[in-house]
Amino acid sequence: MTDAPEVLKPLRTWSHLATRRRRPTEYEVVSTNLHYRQDNPDSPWELDPDIHMNKWYRRYCNDSPLRHDDWDAFRDPDQLVYRTYNILQDGQETYVRSVLEQFSDREHDSGLSVEWAGILASHHTPARYLFHTLQMASAYLSQMAPASTISNCSTFEAADSLRWLTHTAYRTVELSRAFPDLGIGTEERRRWESDDAWQGFRELMEKALVAWDWAESFTAVNLVAKPAVEGAVLSGLSRAGRQEDDLVLSLLTESQLRDSERHRRWSTALVEMALENEGNRDVLNGWLAKWAPMGEAAVDAYCANLPDGGALAASAKEAMSSFHTGLGLAAG
Amino acid sequence: MPLLDRSEYYDLIRTTNWTPSYVSEDELYPEEMSGSRGIPMEKWESFDEPYKVAYGEYVATQREKDSGAYSVKAALERANFVDTADPGWISILKAHYGAISVPEYAAMTGEARMARFSKAPGNRNMAVFGMMDETRHGQIQLYFAHEHTRRSRQWDWAHKAMHANEWGALAARHFFDDMMMTRDAIAVSLMLTFAFETGFTNMQFLGLAADAAEAGDHTFANLISSVQTDEARHAQQGGPNLKILIENGRKDEAQKMIDVAFWRSWKLFSVLTGPMMDYYTPLESREQSFKEFMQEWIIGQFERQITDLGLDTPWYWDEFIRALDETHHGMHLGVWYWRPTVWWNPAAGVTPEDRDWLEEKYPGWNDTWGNLWDVIIENLVEGRPELTGPATLPMICNMSNIPIVGTPSNGWNVKDYPLVHNGRLYHFGSEPDRWVFEQDPERYQGHMNFIDRFLAGWIQPMDLMGGLQYMGLAPGEIGDDAHNYEWVSRYTPDVAGTAAG
Ligand SMILES: [Fe+2]
Ligand SMILES: [Fe+2]
Repeated sequence: MTDAPEVLKPLRTWSHLATRRRRPTEYEVVSTNLHYRQDNPDSPWELDPDIHMNKWYRRYCNDSPLRHDDWDAFRDPDQLVYRTYNILQDGQETYVRSVLEQFSDREHDSGLSVEWAGILASHHTPARYLFHTLQMASAYLSQMAPASTISNCSTFEAADSLRWLTHTAYRTVELSRAFPDLGIGTEERRRWESDDAWQGFRELMEKALVAWDWAESFTAVNLVAKPAVEGAVLSGLSRAGRQEDDLVLSLLTESQLRDSERHRRWSTALVEMALENEGNRDVLNGWLAKWAPMGEAAVDAYCANLPDGGALAASAKEAMSSFHTGLGLAAG
Repeated sequence: MPLLDRSEYYDLIRTTNWTPSYVSEDELYPEEMSGSRGIPMEKWESFDEPYKVAYGEYVATQREKDSGAYSVKAALERANFVDTADPGWISILKAHYGAISVPEYAAMTGEARMARFSKAPGNRNMAVFGMMDETRHGQIQLYFAHEHTRRSRQWDWAHKAMHANEWGALAARHFFDDMMMTRDAIAVSLMLTFAFETGFTNMQFLGLAADAAEAGDHTFANLISSVQTDEARHAQQGGPNLKILIENGRKDEAQKMIDVAFWRSWKLFSVLTGPMMDYYTPLESREQSFKEFMQEWIIGQFERQITDLGLDTPWYWDEFIRALDETHHGMHLGVWYWRPTVWWNPAAGVTPEDRDWLEEKYPGWNDTWGNLWDVIIENLVEGRPELTGPATLPMICNMSNIPIVGTPSNGWNVKDYPLVHNGRLYHFGSEPDRWVFEQDPERYQGHMNFIDRFLAGWIQPMDLMGGLQYMGLAPGEIGDDAHNYEWVSRYTPDVAGTAAG
């Protein structure tokens, strides 16, 4: 009986985590190595190997120029899981509700100047289209990323973009009541499609949405578009609003920026991991050289007609480029 | 001024379609990913989800649901239900977690397909909640299964199954990949959310929850009914798209997608849920038979839903209703016979009392399936267990990837439905399985089922050991009779007969 196969003993965790000494965290137990499509590179999906979707995943996920031997080793620095995400965001939404309620009780909006309301109509309420494009882009990354731990970060990010879109829709209704003559609630699509302020962002996002390679999509969206949006449309506009006593905008933005800081933490961790493979630096820099100028142009166009817009644009671009330098990348 | 009511701003949240100009609409929404089938963008804007939820409500409700499910688990952990439960019930848990947890997570990708590529803005938003829901279902079920890994290596399969070439896992992947991973956004909404989730997840999650409550497994009952509350919401994405397809003259295409998805779902359930409900669940805990659950959830509710929307019942409806008396009995017998090839321990479920129940629920059972079990029982009683296990390979269907079965013995109708396509011979377990293949041969033609792989020499050595190795099953994981054959003593003459005299 000496050559009888060994009888496998029960383990304290999943077999794929059992070789490490440390006990896995809840995050690792429920988040790691879940994309079974990564098991068979010839046929990600259990159907004819040559169907469209198998080709799509081979080309845009498996054959990405950004290479790593073990993407599954990626860990979200926040170790967020579904249940902690909801705890976190329910807290944030409670805060948002209390802001909205308090300021509505104090008739905040009727205290805003008509000039500023005009800027909100041109630069704030149309952002729901922009946030929706971010939502779509993150949903794409969720379905294409090579590791479940990457997809999960992106899924939470998609939900966060829907959150920002929801806040914007809510404010659109309130503002339309305080300022019924400014086209608020009706003109946003036209502004998104044709106002100069939005064309840079629209071009950036339409192109980013068809950057099919998973890693290029990540670069275009998380390393360029989001920093540009956050610098100009979130921080920038809310800074301008502070001169106008628009406290609702600044308090809402405050809460949204918490999400975006979290998005940056995981994006940073992913870039760091990619750079373990020296060949990836050129790949990422190449993509940045292509996308960052579009991001900067989007910031410039958006800020052009804002009060003190030149300074806002400069600081948004500065923040974006120092983000890139901090990652060890150079936009050129 | 109080907070706005959701209805005051909800429509703006889903007014997000725009006309792209830096890339074309076709580039932004490639037909193969989007599946708008020539229906213009603005028509999709009429998409109206019956169940509405805004972000803030979503995170609040979901936080509460999780807090309920996790605290029930924590409260009952000390009770050690799993250590004292009937082994048949434990097999249900192992089979369920292995076949369901990771595919639930994979459903996130199907939802993400809609969230990115649907031309209906309401669909794109609802699908983001769907992505979140499926992340929940993957994570919570992995978490609940994980605490049991120390009990037996079979529990490892809650995570491992979908990574393995075990035949059942392979069948599940072929099914899920076909329905939700490789389809365009609109097809996902019809095939995954409408056909599968509306029709079938109710069965797995509410039907099984009823049995779980009866069996005293309150942790599991609570978990899966909580999962189902999410399914009930995001399953409602298919209906509105179906309506748009029908209004725009695409009824035939919609009908075909539903017919394909429904049949494929049925076959998966016949091997997974059927045996669980009618054989593994201890007799005293069986709420209803599998057939009765199917009649209630599928024939009653789903049939009404499809006809309300203006579709027809699938063309094979009579065959489906006939098969409710048959298929899962064959699947069960097959799984028990080939028990080393699964990651759980199948419960035979054929004590004399079980058989009375089966005969009552499925008149004629003893005269057909019962006769085969008699042979197995006789071999076990006479000490010939080697005759009750796999010596040959079953025929496997090239669509469902599960064994080809029919009624045996006095009702014999076992039949292969072959098809030669491009010079290759394919085998199917039924006319509808073959029909599904014929609707879209390119989608399936290059796939190798387990037997194809064996015959092509992918599996070496070409024997049971080689097969188990290929499937990733080693001693310690491979299945055996759930009750360690104790039930056989009920048929041993000196125990069952006049031992007392
Ligand atoms: Fe689910
Ligand atoms: Fe679902």
